[in-house]
Amino acid sequence: MTKERVKEGANKALFATAAIICIVAVIAIFVFIIIKSIPALSKIGFFNFVFGDVWHPDGDDVYAEALAGQYGILTMIVGSIFSTVGALLIGGILGFFTAVFLARFCGPKVKKVFGSVINLLAGIPSVVYGFFGMVVLIPFFANFSSTGDGAGLLVTSLVLGIMILPTVVALSRTGMDAVPQELYEGARALGATHEQAVFRTVVPAAKSSIVASLILGVGRAIGETMAVIMIAGNSAEFPTGLFGSFRTMTANIVLEMGYAGEVQMGALLSTAVILLIFVAVINLLFGLVVAGGKKDKHGKKRMPGIPLPKWLKPAAIGKAISWVCAVLVAVFLAFIIGYIVIRGVPHITPDFLFREYHYGDDPAILSCIVSTLLLVVVSIVIAVPLGIATAIFLNEYTKRGSKFVRIIRSAIDILSGIPSIVYGLFGMLTFVVWFGGASSILAGGFTISIMLLPVVIRSTEESLKSVPDMFREGSFALGAGKVRTIFKVVLPAALPGIMSAVILAIGRVVSETAPLMYTMGSVIQPMPDGVMGSGATLAVALYRLAGEYKYMDQAYATAVVLLVIVLGLNLLAGLIGKRLGKKFQGEKNVVRKKKENK
Amino acid sequence: MLFAKRKKTSEGAASQAARTGTSAPVGAETAQAEEQTSYEGDICVKGADLYYGDFQALKNISIDIPEKNITAFIGPSGCGKSTFLKCFNRMNDLVQGCKITGEFRIGDVDIYGNIDVNELRRNVGMVFQKPNPFPMSVYDNIAYGPRTFGIKKRAALDEIVERSLRQAAMWEELKDRLTKSALGLSGGQQQRLCIARALAVSPKVLLMDEPTSALDPISTGKIEDLCLELKQDVTVVMVTHNMQQAARISDKTAFFLLGDLIEYGDTDEIFDRPKNKKTEEYITGRFG
Ligand SMILES: Nc1ncnc2c1ncn2[C@@H]1O[C@H](COP(=O)(O)OP(=O)(O)OP(=O)(O)O)[C@@H](O)[C@H]1O
Ligand SMILES: [Mg+2]
Repeated sequence: MTKERVKEGANKALFATAAIICIVAVIAIFVFIIIKSIPALSKIGFFNFVFGDVWHPDGDDVYAEALAGQYGILTMIVGSIFSTVGALLIGGILGFFTAVFLARFCGPKVKKVFGSVINLLAGIPSVVYGFFGMVVLIPFFANFSSTGDGAGLLVTSLVLGIMILPTVVALSRTGMDAVPQELYEGARALGATHEQAVFRTVVPAAKSSIVASLILGVGRAIGETMAVIMIAGNSAEFPTGLFGSFRTMTANIVLEMGYAGEVQMGALLSTAVILLIFVAVINLLFGLVVAGGKKDKHGKKRMPGIPLPKWLKPAAIGKAISWVCAVLVAVFLAFIIGYIVIRGVPHITPDFLFREYHYGDDPAILSCIVSTLLLVVVSIVIAVPLGIATAIFLNEYTKRGSKFVRIIRSAIDILSGIPSIVYGLFGMLTFVVWFGGASSILAGGFTISIMLLPVVIRSTEESLKSVPDMFREGSFALGAGKVRTIFKVVLPAALPGIMSAVILAIGRVVSETAPLMYTMGSVIQPMPDGVMGSGATLAVALYRLAGEYKYMDQAYATAVVLLVIVLGLNLLAGLIGKRLGKKFQGEKNVVRKKKENK
Repeated sequence: MLFAKRKKTSEGAASQAARTGTSAPVGAETAQAEEQTSYEGDICVKGADLYYGDFQALKNISIDIPEKNITAFIGPSGCGKSTFLKCFNRMNDLVQGCKITGEFRIGDVDIYGNIDVNELRRNVGMVFQKPNPFPMSVYDNIAYGPRTFGIKKRAALDEIVERSLRQAAMWEELKDRLTKSALGLSGGQQQRLCIARALAVSPKVLLMDEPTSALDPISTGKIEDLCLELKQDVTVVMVTHNMQQAARISDKTAFFLLGDLIEYGDTDEIFDRPKNKKTEEYITGRFG
């Protein structure tokens, strides 16, 4: 009897510890970055740093002596804002109309297939997008550029726009799908056409989701690193016009962190702080919009709507635009994937895949595949148990809405909003130092585990929530304790959802690049020496190969391998996730029956 | 139903394991000094009050429920029947902000005293309004309770599963489907499976909260027959909205209204000669 109680207590303590580790991780990242940035900010001067437009660091600068370099990041702040706005214009408009198309202008089959294809795109690694921009878009737009260089704002906005598409489409579409059918029917009953009802009733009713989706897209665009450094040109200048090299804040960090001197590193950390401030504002806006949307439904406060442009008023045009956007998106996506596959597949040879690589050889990716696998193992071993335990604690042990839970939840939200390069910076300055000062798979694994936590926690929580309470009650009523109920009834029922979360997390590990470059290894190397060895993942290898024009064929081939793995994982996750829904169908029938009886 | 024998070791498991069906209580001697108290006997409640936060859901309720009888709780929606029923296995412990005062005894156990709640729930089984078989096989559903209390041997579990299913009169129906998912059963079968699941740990009391309200008439009839069968061994307390059902199967009936116990007595008395005007109005269908 008491043994039982000890067991219950111990388990609860264990779950709570996991949750606390998550909070500590968040606090640690923030405190670390901020504290480390203070000396640099005070040496350079906050004003000079933010409003200075010359970035000319000197690697020998130290805090003790007068500065030789100049550290102003205004060009990059402007660069980040401009490219994000550009992405929002392209991805926002395309995404919004594609969402309208999916929600209201297509049949169920198209909706299902096209919808899941777009979801799949969310999994494509950013290096692949960057690579596509580099090899296809830049040469193409070079024809239109006065300098003959296609890199710059236009291509960056375009690529970022495509990258935020899935985010925008998914959330706005969910919002529109959730608009009560009565609203739509009410409009039809008043004589509105289908198009009018959609654009004047359904869209306004879903506006808070739509705005939220755009804000989320903005967050994703401003935090993007790898794709940007492959196509923006990266010189620390203001973006001028559609073409011309510029640099974003994220790019600044990743370009120089590998070799920065004392003050320079401080300045990079300060760049991260400014970036985090932007992200915080975006998160805040997102929270406000979502909260506003909730109030909206209860008929209290109304959200300021997005006014529909005048030219949209003839709603038939809206429908036409939706079609055009959806087709554009489809063509674009098919083109990206098709182009890379066609160029890459012929170069996927056994030699390329399986030859053991030595320095100086032509590239081969066996060692990268092994490194990627090791990284996956390390990060999953850390993040999955911790994430699941935290989710269990949040969902099964705490009172819903308690203060402690709210703190943990917002910590998790914050964690998921931090740009990946900030994790990279943090990991390089902590884990790499702890694990012997050199990049290692272990250090990369720790870094990326923190990134995975929010993903794992959130989706585990979702699956735990989808397990009906009556199962828990049934178990308690049979005299089972909490631990037994969780492990024997709740977790098994939630397993498909949790597994699909884990698979998505693996996909994320495989696609990430920025946080790994300086924690795990940034060049293709011979076989890694266990987890303490260093090595490049496939994604990092693609970045490297893309930079060496001599090995373009191998770059294409690597991109294909990467695509196959990541899309395969996403597909698998989707399939497994669906089984969760099926699992409780028996129960749903009963509920329906009961309603009819009453 | 001739095999309630279980060579169960762990102290608690054996004492209850022996009590089942018409079988002889083989192995009952294992219930030795360790547990003097027993859940066997009448249910006695004195002066029970229950609050959900500030809202008083039960008001000074006293009732004696005789063992091995069927007692029905009736009353309009929201009057506190389910709440009261859940006091007997302390499911209300799971509700935040729920405060309970008063005396609750089952047999000679003070169930809000210093007891093991899981042990209480093993002795006081519950069947819910919505059938809630776990998403696992029929066999594992029934074995869930026994396994919780430490029975691991396959042979012992096989016996319990068969015994419980026979008690619930579904052995013939289900013996070839033991390994199939319980969610594939019909609603009525699911509910009877839940009853069998509750019986697998040989409870002394079985609480049923509108067990037939989600079911068709034929399944309802089966469950009513089952209750009449069960009351030879088990104290059944059932919440029902169905007046005919209460009249048909219960020995005692308690009428609740807005958290008060208005009237309680033999079912015949309550239905034929209600003392309280409200009771009469309710059973004649004038409100509710
Ligand atoms: N968890 C809870 N928190 C707060 N109030 C509750 C809770 N559960 C029940 N109540 C309230 O207590 C009162 C009694 O509820 P209870 O579920 O016991 O009624 P009932 O008689 O079983 O009704 P029904 O016939 O509809 O099942 C109701 O007013 C209900 O709103
Ligand atoms: Mg009820």
